[in-house]
Amino acid sequence: MNLLESVGAGARDMASHKGRAVITIIGIVLGTASVVAVLSLMRGGEKQTEDFFDEMGGLRELRITNTHSHTLFQTAAERASERLTYRDAQAIRRACPSVLTVDPEITRYLTVSYGDKTFRMKVLGTNRDYPHADNMPVAEGRFISDKDCENYANVIMMGPTYKEDLFGDEEAIGKTITLEGIPFEVVGIMTKKEFYFEGSGGSERNVLEWFNRSHYIPITTMIRRFTVNDRLDGLEISAVSVEAVPALIEEANRVLLRRHGVEDFNVESKSEQIQQRNDQEAFFNIIFWAVAFVSLFVGGVVIANIMLASITERIREIGVRKAIGASGRDVFVQFVVEALVVTASGGAFGLLLGLGLVTITDRVLNMPTEVTPAILVIAFGCSVAVGVIFGLFPAIRAARLDPVEALRYQ
Amino acid sequence: MLIRTEELTKSYDLGAAEVRALRGVTFGIEEGEYVAIMGPSGSGKSTLMHILGCLDTPSTGRYFLNGTEVSELHGRELARVRNKEIGFVFQNFNLLPRVDLVANVALPLVYHGGMNRAERRKQAVRALESVGLGHRLKHRPNELSGGERQRASIARALVTEPSILLADEPTGNLDQKTGREIMGILDELSKAGKTVILVTHDSNVAAHARRTVEIEDGTIAREGRA
Repeated sequence: MNLLESVGAGARDMASHKGRAVITIIGIVLGTASVVAVLSLMRGGEKQTEDFFDEMGGLRELRITNTHSHTLFQTAAERASERLTYRDAQAIRRACPSVLTVDPEITRYLTVSYGDKTFRMKVLGTNRDYPHADNMPVAEGRFISDKDCENYANVIMMGPTYKEDLFGDEEAIGKTITLEGIPFEVVGIMTKKEFYFEGSGGSERNVLEWFNRSHYIPITTMIRRFTVNDRLDGLEISAVSVEAVPALIEEANRVLLRRHGVEDFNVESKSEQIQQRNDQEAFFNIIFWAVAFVSLFVGGVVIANIMLASITERIREIGVRKAIGASGRDVFVQFVVEALVVTASGGAFGLLLGLGLVTITDRVLNMPTEVTPAILVIAFGCSVAVGVIFGLFPAIRAARLDPVEALRYQ
Repeated sequence: MLIRTEELTKSYDLGAAEVRALRGVTFGIEEGEYVAIMGPSGSGKSTLMHILGCLDTPSTGRYFLNGTEVSELHGRELARVRNKEIGFVFQNFNLLPRVDLVANVALPLVYHGGMNRAERRKQAVRALESVGLGHRLKHRPNELSGGERQRASIARALVTEPSILLADEPTGNLDQKTGREIMGILDELSKAGKTVILVTHDSNVAAHARRTVEIEDGTIAREGRA
């Protein structure tokens, strides 16, 4: 009997034991469907976490801050240090081989006017690296360039929310607005940054809205026009790769220590976030495999159980088959194929049911889900593998039955 | 000589005691013979039938079937011999309950190999017609009378055209009238040249055969010819 015939015979045999087949198939269907649904839900959650980290900014970033020391107990060296300055930022860009972007920031709240509208708005003095470092693309026009910084140009990049406040639907690029009475030309508008978390009571909140509420001018212009010195409010630098982050930490520390003469600064990587992200991922992976394993193991035990029961019920049949010429191998193949036919068809229905459950969770419960081909392959593949593995033991038992004993069995 | 046995013995080791079911059986059966193996229960006739039917192997001694020493065969080879050389007719019919008669009768051909499904079904239908069940092809065993079931079981035994028809108490579960009908079919088959071996304790059944071999206490006690 060849394999194709065995599959046909297995299918016909299952069809002739409808009750048993249906129970087994329901078990496998539920197992496979729950694997698909749970895995998709978890993948959705994992994806959301990843997206949040990615949207928030690259993990290659380092944040350099001034350390706080009490004025009363300052040493001479500490008093002599100018703290973090724009010149530090330039030195890092020159002297650190692992650095990709240097993003110095000075923030001021300034009176901004256009026509008869006047607001106090947050203005950031920065340079061309800002959008790269913070993963913020430009929507219209251009960002501040190196040339703007060199020339102390009076140009301004607008945040999308402020652009609406001042101009509404009106074209903004090329127009002139004033900052503390000084005219600035609008050269670009940032892309709106969005990441919604569902708040209590179903209201959605854009947790990244603060990004949209900033203006940007060249840091050199900020220093010349609006501040008394070049002390920075923040300095963010990024490494050429995530792997280069430790090297950059060392390089930046060296450069700054040489310039300040004292360690009055702190270089922080987002290692905590990197760690958090990796932990999240590891956690999701463990749950992922645990759920898949448990569901399918349960399914497998069900199969083994039903098959063993069905063998007891069919000992006479096995005896008859052997008496009329079935070898142990024929009987073995018959039982394995039956397990395969059941689990494969159960697996297929399970995939459909699983996809249905995923759609329901997505649409009705509004939970993020993601179905990847890998999930479908894992769920189906495992259900078939489980069928074969758990079908083997009962099949071996059936194949080894002594025909004389089997025929005598009542 | 179709069947030849030399000093067949069979012992079962039951731990404390060794049970000797056969204690040296030597006999032969020619092609086309109609033989009844008789004996009370516990005489060893069932064990002898199992060995003759290649369902079991002797502890010692030799068994030649159609020139092949089958006492040396095991597992798959023995399954092949059962399939090709032996047709079983059981006391309790042993048809598969959930499939129709055609599928039941075609089953030995499935293990026989070399035939597609359509050919197997065709041959099964022919075998069923030959025992007068041409009108019952699509019925399942539980929809049939005992006599019809036994006829289906004979059809299944004949479908591979085996050398030997081995019938174990073929009328044991039937009423007298139906039993006579079944014996009539076996008589016909014998007349047509088939080698038929009856295993029975019923002398009325054994009377249909032309030769009887009586087993007692694991050996041949008497042989007789009609």
